[in-house]
Amino acid sequence: MGTRDEEFLKRLLATFKVEAEEHLQAISAGLLQLEKEASVEKRGAVVQGIFREAHSLKGAARSVNLGEVEAVCQALEGLFSTWKHPGVLVSASEFDMLHQVLDLLARLTAAGVSDASVDQSQVQAVIRRLQRAAQGQLRLEEEPVSPVPEPPGPPPPTAVESAPVESVRVALSKLQELLQQSEEFLSARLAVGQILAEVNEVGTALMTWRAKWAKVQPLIRAWERGLEAAPVAGRAAATYGWQGQICEFLHWSETQHKSLEGRIGHLAKSTEQGYWLLGRLVEALTGDLKKVLMLPFQPALEILPRLVRDLARASGKEAELQIQGGEIEIDRRVLEELKTPLIHLVRNCLDHGLEKPEERQRRGKPRQGRITVAITSLEGGTVEIKVADDGAGIDPAKVRQAAVKLGLRTPEEAGAAEESELWPLIFEAGLTTSPIITDISGRGLGLAILRETAEKLGGAYAVASQPGAGTTFSLTLPITMATFRGTLVRLGRHVFVVPTKNVEQALRVSQAQIRTVENRETIEINGRALALVRLGDVLELPEDARATRGFLPVLVLTAGDKRIAFAVDEVLYEQEVLEKPWGGQLSRVRNLSGVTILGTGELAPILNVADLLKSAVKSSLAGPRLAPAVPEEREQAAILVVEDSITARTLLKNILEGAGYRVETAVDGLDAFGKLKDGGFDLVVSDVDMPRMNGFDLTARIRRDRELAELPVVLVTALESREDRERGVEAGANAYIVKSSFDQSNLLETIKRII
Amino acid sequence: MPASAKHPAQNLEARREILKARAQALAREPKIAAEPEGRLEVLEFVLANERYALETAFVREVCALKELTPLPCTPSFILGIINIRGQILAVTDLKRFFHLPDKGLSDLNKVIILRRGGLEVGILADRVSGVRAVSVPEVQEPLPTLEGLSPDYLKGISREALIILDAEKILTDPRMIVHEEVELPSK
Repeated sequence: MGTRDEEFLKRLLATFKVEAEEHLQAISAGLLQLEKEASVEKRGAVVQGIFREAHSLKGAARSVNLGEVEAVCQALEGLFSTWKHPGVLVSASEFDMLHQVLDLLARLTAAGVSDASVDQSQVQAVIRRLQRAAQGQLRLEEEPVSPVPEPPGPPPPTAVESAPVESVRVALSKLQELLQQSEEFLSARLAVGQILAEVNEVGTALMTWRAKWAKVQPLIRAWERGLEAAPVAGRAAATYGWQGQICEFLHWSETQHKSLEGRIGHLAKSTEQGYWLLGRLVEALTGDLKKVLMLPFQPALEILPRLVRDLARASGKEAELQIQGGEIEIDRRVLEELKTPLIHLVRNCLDHGLEKPEERQRRGKPRQGRITVAITSLEGGTVEIKVADDGAGIDPAKVRQAAVKLGLRTPEEAGAAEESELWPLIFEAGLTTSPIITDISGRGLGLAILRETAEKLGGAYAVASQPGAGTTFSLTLPITMATFRGTLVRLGRHVFVVPTKNVEQALRVSQAQIRTVENRETIEINGRALALVRLGDVLELPEDARATRGFLPVLVLTAGDKRIAFAVDEVLYEQEVLEKPWGGQLSRVRNLSGVTILGTGELAPILNVADLLKSAVKSSLAGPRLAPAVPEEREQAAILVVEDSITARTLLKNILEGAGYRVETAVDGLDAFGKLKDGGFDLVVSDVDMPRMNGFDLTARIRRDRELAELPVVLVTALESREDRERGVEAGANAYIVKSSFDQSNLLETIKRII
Repeated sequence: MPASAKHPAQNLEARREILKARAQALAREPKIAAEPEGRLEVLEFVLANERYALETAFVREVCALKELTPLPCTPSFILGIINIRGQILAVTDLKRFFHLPDKGLSDLNKVIILRRGGLEVGILADRVSGVRAVSVPEVQEPLPTLEGLSPDYLKGISREALIILDAEKILTDPRMIVHEEVELPSK
């Protein structure tokens, strides 16, 4: 029983935390509004609102036994109730104190435990302060109201303000699971497509039969007529003799065949209908679910007013924040990514943009600076987020200085650069125009984070500044994380996706076009020299045994203002790509941003081009690339690896390819035998324990086969017993390697001995 | 079931119903009765000819490894990624994670998906033998001689020489989380 109660309380606490967060947010917003609001009527309504919120929170806290929260809320309620009298003035320091109280409440509710860790004395001090403030108000008003305004009653029925649309609260994880499952329907559709193809194949096979039948049919007819014409013992042989029976069977077969053909035709048609129907349904379902995952910007913007207020007070500036377009909806995942850069942008406005009140007055501006966060929907499923201030603007001279200091530009370059060329530089990590690093900003990281977010989400960023009049940062983002165009490239056996927006050009260059400058390879495109690197090297893939000769497929990739040419093995094609971001264990992977599921069900990692460009620079700094090895013109022996475990199969393939063999794979004995019959192999390396046909049977079958009898077979197996070994030899294997003592060298040595 | 035997005419319908009910019963997540004090429920598996076990409390599911997509630029213990019903999961080779000597060829045919909090991790195994209960007193202190395996990751060794790994330690090991940036060498 005890554990069940605990379980229940745990669930209750989780619900409480969500609820408490909302109450606190509402109180915080109310306080901010009160500080600005002049109209007595409106103030009254706001006070009423925050009083109710504090009261609800108190009730909720009591139901989960959070005594401290309850007590603090009670004191808050006490103070708010004194504010109900018109004419009460609240000082800025009191507002400060209240925001701190809210912070404490947030900590208390987040901890969610009633005892330990919580500093009792701190809670008591806060309560005393609140009570003193309430009494102070009373003295001011000279109205005797009891300091504890209301005996704690049951929480009021949660009076929901008239909501325009009815809504339910669903845990996000459940929705995401749903989206994931709906995307899985894509593979169901894929499977149906596969079945359709197979049914059509059967149809074609039947047609081939029909064509052959059409050829022999006249012969059969003629034969039949001959039989009818030659009476046997007074009766037609066609009716009674064995020939007659064959003829009858052939006719029956034909009818049977026709009916089968008809049925297969129907089957193909209905499968096709199902295939298209499923496609439409899946599209509609995933589309609707994506809409469900859309959220208005508002919740992400709610922290900003408080942030501006606190930062402004801390830095002795006066600032007003205006928010527009908070109701515009965007993919929750995009919103999640946006929170941090937004905070950085607003901090930047306050710290670098806005001047101190006196300075502003001197320049003939109002004392209070203005920061605007404006969100607008644009064409083509994108939104623009503009964060602007009416402060001093960016000083071009300082940017020039900082760029030179960081080594991004030479003094000459910096001096000659137009202002519009300078602005992009402020997005570089480490560049700051601030002479001092404050705890608000100045490290030069904030804008670099903005840039990374924009690149990651496939958006764009810009800055415009006018000295003396202010600075505007803008960020354009897609409203869904949905699909983008991706270019598929092959490197050895791996397929990777490059976001097409980062591909400037795809071309083929001949070896002759590659120049080596200071041990680094370059190619010339449109009269400009570009660094050329091998994508495989940058991704740290093992060198492919088959070096490309002749033309080299190359992609010119760009991000920001950098461009580098990457050589690949093959540029495949372009398609719509749905990115699945990493999660959990893979927090951030170098050079890769996520993964997509291809139409074949295979996974293909998506390249992070911004990272790649950095890695390419790094690898070229690390040392010159050796001249490409001239591939040896020796005949490569071909080996078939037969293994049902994908890991062992891949490992064996890698080892053998690394040793210079040409390797193909099969998943079991039957598969292997089919491939062997096609010919061209010099040796077989096979596992023993496999479905359908095991290694012993495969070996025996090879030995029995006329063409394959001499083919060497190496068995690699987990079976260690002497009997098994003898069985292997009996079946005709040339070598028997036990997996537990397997290592790369004994396999290669064995193979070298045999071929 | 007797019902289907008695009414052969309704045989098919009844059978279908029964099968459906059974499938639903099987699909339901079993409510594992709380282990009596002192018992530890573990999932036993084989990795490189050694028998290991992990507490079932951390096991989300076990599935067959059918496709594996290798992932460059990750630590060597990450063998690649798999797609489990639309969820992309990295799979870890514990031998490499523990820095055990890399000898022998393992099948690594099974993925054991471990879960702790929000973190899910795929662990490769050659074979999964099943679930068993070991009594805690049986769990001995780890032997210091256990080849190469750091005792930090061990909960103990049961009487049947089952090496019980500490899933909690493994899942909370900071090495488990891959978070790598491209670091440019300073000029």
